[in-house]
Amino acid sequence: MTVLPPSRTVTGPPPGTRVETLPSVPGLGGLYVRGAAGSAAAQIPGRTTATTLPAVAHRVEGVRVDPGHLTSYQHLLGETGSDALPSGFCHVLAFPVATAVMVRTDFPLPLLGMVHVANAASVLRPVHLGDALDVTAWTQDLRAHRRGTQLDVCAEIAVDGEVAWRGISTYLAKGVHLVGGAESSDAESSVTADASDQESSGEVGASVVWRLSADVGRAYGAVSGDRNPIHMSALSAKAFGFPRAIAHGMYTAARALADVGARRGPTYDWTVEFAKPVLLPGRVDVTYTTGADGAWTYAGRSSSGRPHLAGTVIPNA
Amino acid sequence: MTTSPTPSSPREAYVLGGNRIPFGKVGGAYARSSNQDMLTAALDGLVARYGLQGERLGEIVGGAVLKHSKDFNLVRESALGTALDPRTPAFDLQQACATGLEAVITVSNKIRLGQIESAIAGGVDSTSDAPVAVSPGLRRALLTAARARDLPTRLKAFAKVRPADLAPDAPRTDEPRTGLSMGEHQAVTTARWGITREAQDEIALRSHHNLAASYERGFQDDLVTPYRGLVRDQILRPDTSAEKLGKLSPVFGKRLDHMPTMTAGNSTPLSDGASAVLLGSADWAAARNLPLLARVVDAETAAVDFVHGHEGLLMAPVHAVARLLTRQGLTLGDLDLVEIHEAFASVVLTTQAAWADDDYCRTELGLPGALGTIDPAKVNVNGSSLAAGHPFAATGGRIVAQTAKQLAELQAASPAAGPFRALVSICAAGGLGVAAILESVPTTEGDPR
Amino acid sequence: MTDRYTHLVNTGFTATLAKRLGLPQPAILRRFSAGDPLVPGPVLVLGPDTHDGSDSDAVAQHLLGLDLDVHRSPSTGTARWGAVVLVLTEIERVEDLSEHVLAAGSVLKQTARGARVVTLVREPQPDDAPALAAARQAVDGFTRSLAKELRGGATANGLVLAGGAAAGGEGVLAPLRWFLSARSAFVDGQLLTVGPADVPAQDDARPLEGRVAVVTGAARGIGAAIARTLARDGAAVVCVDVPAAGEHLAKVANEVRGTALQLDITADDAGERIVAHARARHGRLDVVVHNAGITRDKLLANMDAARWDSVLAVNTAAQLRINDVLLASDLFRDAPRIVSLASTSGIAGNRGQTNYGASKAGVIGMVRATSPLLADVGGTANAVAPGFIETEMTARIPFATREVARRLNSLQQGGQPVDVAEAVAFLGSPGAGAVSGQVLRVCGQNLVGA
Repeated sequence: MTVLPPSRTVTGPPPGTRVETLPSVPGLGGLYVRGAAGSAAAQIPGRTTATTLPAVAHRVEGVRVDPGHLTSYQHLLGETGSDALPSGFCHVLAFPVATAVMVRTDFPLPLLGMVHVANAASVLRPVHLGDALDVTAWTQDLRAHRRGTQLDVCAEIAVDGEVAWRGISTYLAKGVHLVGGAESSDAESSVTADASDQESSGEVGASVVWRLSADVGRAYGAVSGDRNPIHMSALSAKAFGFPRAIAHGMYTAARALADVGARRGPTYDWTVEFAKPVLLPGRVDVTYTTGADGAWTYAGRSSSGRPHLAGTVIPNA
Repeated sequence: MTTSPTPSSPREAYVLGGNRIPFGKVGGAYARSSNQDMLTAALDGLVARYGLQGERLGEIVGGAVLKHSKDFNLVRESALGTALDPRTPAFDLQQACATGLEAVITVSNKIRLGQIESAIAGGVDSTSDAPVAVSPGLRRALLTAARARDLPTRLKAFAKVRPADLAPDAPRTDEPRTGLSMGEHQAVTTARWGITREAQDEIALRSHHNLAASYERGFQDDLVTPYRGLVRDQILRPDTSAEKLGKLSPVFGKRLDHMPTMTAGNSTPLSDGASAVLLGSADWAAARNLPLLARVVDAETAAVDFVHGHEGLLMAPVHAVARLLTRQGLTLGDLDLVEIHEAFASVVLTTQAAWADDDYCRTELGLPGALGTIDPAKVNVNGSSLAAGHPFAATGGRIVAQTAKQLAELQAASPAAGPFRALVSICAAGGLGVAAILESVPTTEGDPR
Repeated sequence: MTDRYTHLVNTGFTATLAKRLGLPQPAILRRFSAGDPLVPGPVLVLGPDTHDGSDSDAVAQHLLGLDLDVHRSPSTGTARWGAVVLVLTEIERVEDLSEHVLAAGSVLKQTARGARVVTLVREPQPDDAPALAAARQAVDGFTRSLAKELRGGATANGLVLAGGAAAGGEGVLAPLRWFLSARSAFVDGQLLTVGPADVPAQDDARPLEGRVAVVTGAARGIGAAIARTLARDGAAVVCVDVPAAGEHLAKVANEVRGTALQLDITADDAGERIVAHARARHGRLDVVVHNAGITRDKLLANMDAARWDSVLAVNTAAQLRINDVLLASDLFRDAPRIVSLASTSGIAGNRGQTNYGASKAGVIGMVRATSPLLADVGGTANAVAPGFIETEMTARIPFATREVARRLNSLQQGGQPVDVAEAVAFLGSPGAGAVSGQVLRVCGQNLVGA
């Protein structure tokens, strides 16, 4: 029995959320500057910070996809050149709108240093190039975690007033303890458990190998707009404590989604949990298994067996 | 055995002969030869052997796996360079390592349908002169500049080119969807079927010895035409031994938990070469006094889902052969010759292991039980790719021509018996597998020709 | 392979210079070109003409029938003579020669470039009266000496009629036409014996039409030239060479529109494979040219077994083995022709070539003994002995040695592969049916071993 991912169980912003409509999709560059400033402000000792998420959703209406942008994304990730938007591309479209929520002054956590630990997204109806897309993003479910504070960043894409895609990104603000209460489960441990299940299944070797070049971070940064310095170069990554640049987690998850390919069908759920970051350049051995229900699970590990990511792709028959 | 087309039953297509150039090793004898050079040489040798100068053939079909974009019409351009009538049409076809065999099947079907009377099926590949592409960044700049109407726009196009874009994009033989080389894929399959190093080395040894012996007895005299000073296949090692093969270090499967078993000795190296097979209807052959070496009976192509690890990349022929034999009402025991393309020695072994596995044949092939086993003395009797080399698209033609000749020899040695039957099985990139059945042509009484 | 010297002394300033310096002035030979007349001018037919139906009259009538300008006596016309035919078959005493040879001599200064002198005489017999034998034998010495005197690419050769061969029969006339033609360019000072065999009239333009010929060693040089010439004369040619020479062999086969058969002629089954190929692909076999040969030069003092044995195996033993198969085959029954390549080394010997000389002399012995075995089916076996021929092989001889070798013949130059090929094609043609067991030298009348 498959447990439904949060992207299927969430149904729109929580009650009482105020929707602020932006005139257009905000530029991520500017958002990062604001986010960095906000992060710095949040670190000023004695500064009082909010302990609740803003009950605000940002919304941009009538977004049109640029065909060149879609093509670049598809080529980079190994998706087919279909006019149907891959779920990962929907995530890319919604990302700036979601980021705009996270750089609000009333957002309680620093943008930089937040770790993307898990993601779930559902294509509920096929979204096509040429559709007018209404993108809505909000944050919810601020909760305590062993190593800090977690929250979900949610986004929906609606076509003709009907939600066609929903994504839930779970972030961890490491070492920030804002709220009490029961700690949520640790994503990393579940990835590890998954991986060991794989080893015992008797499979020999990986099905697929990704050889990631040093410029993969820059390339995905270009199509996603996510130019976080930790992905851009070894130098900029060192400034944040990484020995080399690391691959975008969503890049690796989207590669896995592309590997499953056409058999995910027109509508599907796609989940990922991230473990150790993938240092660039690097190699990831990925195993795919399918169950009788047509659900795919995948797990990517380093050549020494350390887990990088694991997840599912579940067609909605 | 003359047949004429009737509305209800297609007529027969026959292999009449073949020719190839010796296969060179990468960077070897043909380092500076292009695909077109080599294919033309193979075609010209065929024309010379069978006296086809000035002949307008029905069609020439063939291809190359690694192909320059300028070679968009490779086979036609090659044909124009031969002594054949320049009005002989041609087209390119590509099915990875099965290109040559697929070309044979394609023209056979046209002959059977009465669309053509004669054809050449061919294939060529050069890993020495493989196409090297420019990076996507440079390509975009070049194309933009080419379209530009003035110099500033043209220069602007190049402003976006980064130093890294100047590095060429070498062709990759890795599977595009898995990033694994064919050897790494087969290493997984080899381990899965528990194939030993010793068994693989034995296959390699026999391949070299069988091919060398075929040269020695003159069998290859009318199958191979030297080219560029190369008289025999460049990787052929008649003097190799189990000891020599046993000393080589494994090159594939080193990341697996299992002991790696695949070495440079029991894996086929990259090669350069070309081959061509002459096919025709019985009437066409008779009018030109050409021998009917073998009848093309039937063929089957299969593909497996290797991307997600369910089945081995090179296991598709296992499926193709099962379906082909079922359709023909044949068993492995009905075969007198079996040619299993030696992409790796272990392919010969995993293929046969799968056919002998009752459970596998039931669940994966949908058969009532194991397909069976084959007498090793019937397998690759004149050597195969491990000894000859494997210029991808040229391999099918090599196998079909030498198998047809071997069938004709069997038939000639036992005129009262037969027909003798051969199975050709070729695995290909992309999880593809192609199989075909050839049959000798019993000589009718009173016709010593 | 070009003889630059011959070119230089025949053109422009260098020609004048050569003349002043008294250098040898080899002529550019008259070689076959389709459409050219048989001879480059009027033909003077000389010889006793004492009765109707004399031999000289028969020859003259035949040549007239070829639309040639035939004269029976020297005249002072403006045209340069294209050929002189001395029909001396009916002479009985040496004194009979004078009138005819002096008449011939009177026109030698008015001959065209590439003119021909051909003598016809009957073969001296042991039971001839001494005076008759002397007269007949005299023609031999006359012909050879005259050949050395001629210039401007002119040649002198003779036909020796044996066993009652009729001067007016095709068996004699076909060889006569060949000697007169450009095809015999490098054959000089040679006397060819012609027997009485009945030979059907042949069309010299395509004498091998409908015939199937096998040429061994056809990939290069003389063998390739033979394949081309046989194909030009109408034959379907099976080009045979060792598998290692396959690339060139294919080119030659495609050029002559024949078939390529890669085969080592020393293989045990070589003969069977040749016959099988000819049978399967062409349905007949008429001419086999044993051209393949090798050299492994070494003084006998330094000779090893490998060198000796391989030369004999390829040059002689292989031909014998293949001939055995041919002689036993039902396919080789319709006036078949065997033409073997011998060598002047096999006649005169050559230092460092004891093995090669032996092998080629062996070939001469072989064709002589094979000839009667084929007589029943109208077949012949002959050899062609090339002298210095400009080939890839002779091009590797050091310059000075090559220059000397080239000039040591009456034509003062090396021959071309095609000159050998022409002789082979002639001996392979139906018209040469009365020539058998002979060795035809293609050497420009080499000074050695004449």
